[in-house]
Amino acid sequence: MTRIARKFSAELLLVVLIVLAGLWSAQLSPYFLDLNNLMNSAAFFVVFGLMAFGLFPVVVQGEIDISLASTLAVASVLFAKLSVSGVPVLVALPIVLVVTGGLGAINGLLVAYGGLPSLAVTLGTLGAYRGIAYLLAGDAGVTGLTDDYTLLGQSWVGVVPSTVVLFLVFALVIGVLMETTKFGRYSYALGANPAASRTAAAPVRQTRVAAYALAGVAAGLAGFVWVNQYQSARGDNADGAILFVLTAVVLGGVSIKGGSGRALGVLLSTVLLATIQTGMKLANVPGTSQTLVVGLLLIAAIGGPTLVQLIRNGVGKLRPAAPARG
Amino acid sequence: MSTPLLQRFKLSGGGGSALKVRVIGVLAFQLLLVVIFGVLAPRFLSWDNAQSILFTAAILAMAAAGQTLVVLTGNLDLSVGSIMGLCAYVVFDVASQHTWLMGLTVPFAILLGAALGAINGLLVTYLKIPAMVATLGTLSVYRGMVSFYANAMEVTSGELPGWIRDLATARWLGLSSYVWIAAGLVALVGLVLSRLPWGRKLYAYGSNPRAAYYYGLNENRILIGAYVAAGAIAGFVGLLLGAQVGNINSLVASGFEMQVLAAVVIGGVSIWGGSGSVYGAALGAIVLATINNGLVLLGVQEFYRLLFQGVAIVAAVAVDALVQKRVLSATSRRSILEVAA
Repeated sequence: MTRIARKFSAELLLVVLIVLAGLWSAQLSPYFLDLNNLMNSAAFFVVFGLMAFGLFPVVVQGEIDISLASTLAVASVLFAKLSVSGVPVLVALPIVLVVTGGLGAINGLLVAYGGLPSLAVTLGTLGAYRGIAYLLAGDAGVTGLTDDYTLLGQSWVGVVPSTVVLFLVFALVIGVLMETTKFGRYSYALGANPAASRTAAAPVRQTRVAAYALAGVAAGLAGFVWVNQYQSARGDNADGAILFVLTAVVLGGVSIKGGSGRALGVLLSTVLLATIQTGMKLANVPGTSQTLVVGLLLIAAIGGPTLVQLIRNGVGKLRPAAPARG
Repeated sequence: MSTPLLQRFKLSGGGGSALKVRVIGVLAFQLLLVVIFGVLAPRFLSWDNAQSILFTAAILAMAAAGQTLVVLTGNLDLSVGSIMGLCAYVVFDVASQHTWLMGLTVPFAILLGAALGAINGLLVTYLKIPAMVATLGTLSVYRGMVSFYANAMEVTSGELPGWIRDLATARWLGLSSYVWIAAGLVALVGLVLSRLPWGRKLYAYGSNPRAAYYYGLNENRILIGAYVAAGAIAGFVGLLLGAQVGNINSLVASGFEMQVLAAVVIGGVSIWGGSGSVYGAALGAIVLATINNGLVLLGVQEFYRLLFQGVAIVAAVAVDALVQKRVLSATSRRSILEVAA
């Protein structure tokens, strides 16, 4: 029992925090615990959750992808364009997912085969993909989508919105992928020690490209959910969403240096962030001030453990340790 | 003895010349841009237009000079745009309410920026948060703070101190005052980097943190210093940008970090740290300003700029990777020869 508690200590902490945040939100507004409100709020965060689960394997491998929100914009605009030109949704879905998977794979190829730092590459493609989305959408964006493209956003499975079900299924797929498949094992090995993985003849490059392509597909799915929920698409869709997405991944216990973290943690941290943001919305906290809290959480999630350690050791005795790089 | 010495000279030239080619490459690219835009849009080559390019480049080059200090250490500062916005709004708002502070706006902005930079530095050094994550966090925290403070209000240009409004439109020797200020600031940072011990330590730490540690350099002091200096410069530039914009809201300079990083990377400052110069970053700023200006003159949609900028970042980093490979192989061959001798 204690062993299980220790293994899942991060997840337990998240559950406690979710309960606290839920109580706080319920305090702010009697409507928070209303089942319909809860489900509608959850649906709002599906887009972010999908991207978080796309980013998760990339971060486990010790890399980063900050271009995901731009990839989402390409996807949402493509869906809208295809819808307006009369392509049925079941044909559009594979087309767009292949395109966004390709955009992700471009990132992966540049990182894995080009040997370029993932931050610089995805900073570049962050701008480039956003530019593509704008070019496709034009100034005004695309509206007037056909019904089949917006069906998912207005349907429920029981009381649960279909988009939430889609997210949970995707999260489960990623979780199983990371826990049980070769891709998952290689990902953890790669993140923990790239040099050792190479020496052990792990397919380092292919695994990296696969993770980035998968992240692109996740962003494509998020774009699909976006058009379902908003029934329109513009070039600036989800601009700046990467802060929330990265915070969700890191807060879920995925080490930004790679090699550790579980899907359950990412799921719980997404729920936690969603609860906090919903609470702030109920309390009428303006949008930019909400990002302040998310930013503080991001810093606290990574810096918190070190801070505790520092205080424990006594700041006076502090010596700069040898940097790991070099 | 003489043969290895000769070889050493040649081989070190191999790495050094790769770096030189990198700068010359940017210059050539800039010339190419001038020729292309000059042919396609005749108005591009006018003196007025050159001035407008330099004016845009001036603000970017100053912000890039601060960013260079951080990138040289192998880190980065994504919060630069938020520091600029926060300093611009808060300082001008305070100055408009307390007129006796009007003369002190510049030191106030620099101090505020330095304090925000110090927070970044502390997060990266003592809390050991990777720079990218720490400054992504402070990017939103600082922006959130200014929007909280501003409460959807604006500081209108009429409320700004008169002298700083005049400065924004002043011309010295035919060029905008900002261009001269930028040239002075870039030269100052360049001198600090090449002449002061701290500048040399920055390069030493950036090119090999572990070796710098064993040599006895204080990692924390170097890093925090870089972030404080970058923050101070960002505060100062935020003030200048605010004076130019006129009506200041809480969104001033949001998204600016992309352009600043693009300028730094295009200008040949290695994202791995330890290599590059502040002059290169300034050149990168001019290249970006030229692209922006030319695309506007050609009547090309604004969106192409994002696309170009993104591709330029990736291309510049790819070239850097090649240069780094050349330098590394040159230096490792050299050290082998030294051992053999």
